[in-house]
Amino acid sequence: MADFSFTRRRAILLLSLTSVILITMDMRGSSVINFTRSAFGVVFRPIESATKVVTRPIGNAWNGITHYNDVVKENHRLNDLVAFNEGSTISAIASVREAQELLSLNGLPTLAGIASCTAQVVGQSPSNFTQTVEINRGSECGLKVGMPVLNAAGMIGKITDVYNKRSVVMLLTDPGYSLAVKVVNLPPPTTTTIPSGNEPTVTTTTSTTTTTLPKVTTTTGIPGFVPGNTVATSSTLAPLPGEVTLPPGDVGPNQPGKSTNSQITVPPGLDVPLRETGALEGRGISRNPIVRFIENQPRFGAVRIGAPIISAGGATSLAPPDIVIGSVSRVVNRTGTLGPILEVTLAANLKNLNFVRILLYQPTSERVKTP
Amino acid sequence: MIERILLFAENRYARLVLVGLMFLGVQTTVFNDMRPFGVCLQIMVLLAVSAGLARGSDTGAIAGFIIGLLYDMVLTTPMGLCAAVFAMVGYLAGIGQSLVYAPTWWSRMLLGAGASAIGMILLPIAFTLTGATGILNAHVLWVALIVGLFNAVLSIPTERLCRWALTEPVAVR
Repeated sequence: MADFSFTRRRAILLLSLTSVILITMDMRGSSVINFTRSAFGVVFRPIESATKVVTRPIGNAWNGITHYNDVVKENHRLNDLVAFNEGSTISAIASVREAQELLSLNGLPTLAGIASCTAQVVGQSPSNFTQTVEINRGSECGLKVGMPVLNAAGMIGKITDVYNKRSVVMLLTDPGYSLAVKVVNLPPPTTTTIPSGNEPTVTTTTSTTTTTLPKVTTTTGIPGFVPGNTVATSSTLAPLPGEVTLPPGDVGPNQPGKSTNSQITVPPGLDVPLRETGALEGRGISRNPIVRFIENQPRFGAVRIGAPIISAGGATSLAPPDIVIGSVSRVVNRTGTLGPILEVTLAANLKNLNFVRILLYQPTSERVKTP
Repeated sequence: MIERILLFAENRYARLVLVGLMFLGVQTTVFNDMRPFGVCLQIMVLLAVSAGLARGSDTGAIAGFIIGLLYDMVLTTPMGLCAAVFAMVGYLAGIGQSLVYAPTWWSRMLLGAGASAIGMILLPIAFTLTGATGILNAHVLWVALIVGLFNAVLSIPTERLCRWALTEPVAVR
């Protein structure tokens, strides 16, 4: 019995000691552990691929049973979304190009100037406590730990482990994820109703203006230009022949409001979107990430639901500035000088990742200086 | 050469590694997609528990350690973390089994469920001890419940598999 106890005690002690040594070595970034993992990956990959082929029908059957209704709903929603987005995509592309031209003219960095590598998501973490996915590109593509990963919708995470032909991406929802972000607070709209005649009707929003002018049959000297139904985004429209012009006092600052009896939404004065920085933190797969350390500044005002969250950038940040992350879905106000905590709805759908783009970006603080 | 391969195949822990690789393949593929109630089912824990139920606490601890180490290879958690937790779980399952006077199929299922649930609670605790934050929350209990229930269902066939894999070589030749 004594021998048995001794053997048992020795075995438990050995196992415990081995675990502690392994954990310590891994946490100190031992190359032996990395090599072992990499080698195991090479051996295990064929086994996993074979198992995937064999078990695919089971997975498909499960997904068919549990997700059929969701897929149908999602399909309908996406059809609507595609129809809605087709029109706005063209103007958005034009706007982005203009913005990039402006940034490059002013010598500011843009995402277009950063090389990238496209990869496909080949697996996700089988753990309930870490949110990671595996992609099929590695150091051969120039990937390094810390590089930001995006999909078409926006930021999805950062690279945490790099092997030769695969990498592990920590998702934004992982509790270990943190990133400096900017909250773009939209200026609060003011609504003014100006009583006037019946025509024409003018609607102004914070960013664009749509003006419907009365139909007139007038010819002009400009070839191709037909006065009448005109959509303009400028605030300086020349009065058209036959147009009813009101005295300037009645119009107020709502150019190109011209004249209306409808509600007009106008940004106050020369307000531009205000920005405040904070830190985005993941909270696990079941909860939305949050943004902390937003300063409670009167100038910044109350953060509005739907305010965009973008990466802040900076010399030490692992992501370049102005990558879309998501929008504010909930604001938790706190007393005193403590700023609010913002809950963020991510732009990217992390449950359905396929092709992703890795920006080969390194912050200036981590670049190797050439002599 | 053939003699060596036979010797290797006769080693019970070598057989366990092969079974573990099979389970790991299933864990990282089909059970990665099938997430009932939003929980990733853990058949690697089930294997460690079943080893303890089949062959007692000592063998359960060693088998749990080996299975955990295999799992650590594909996870991003620190290497050795799952090994330590699974060794504990295998050991606990073996101890639990030895305390039952006349084990029945349902007592094994209960033990399998309990040990798996304990494993699912110990894992985030160990993860937190290594410096991770935001993992220990109420969701852990939900995960433990679902994993426990599922592992209870599969514990009997897995225990039989472990009993076969961890059989001592018999000198018949």
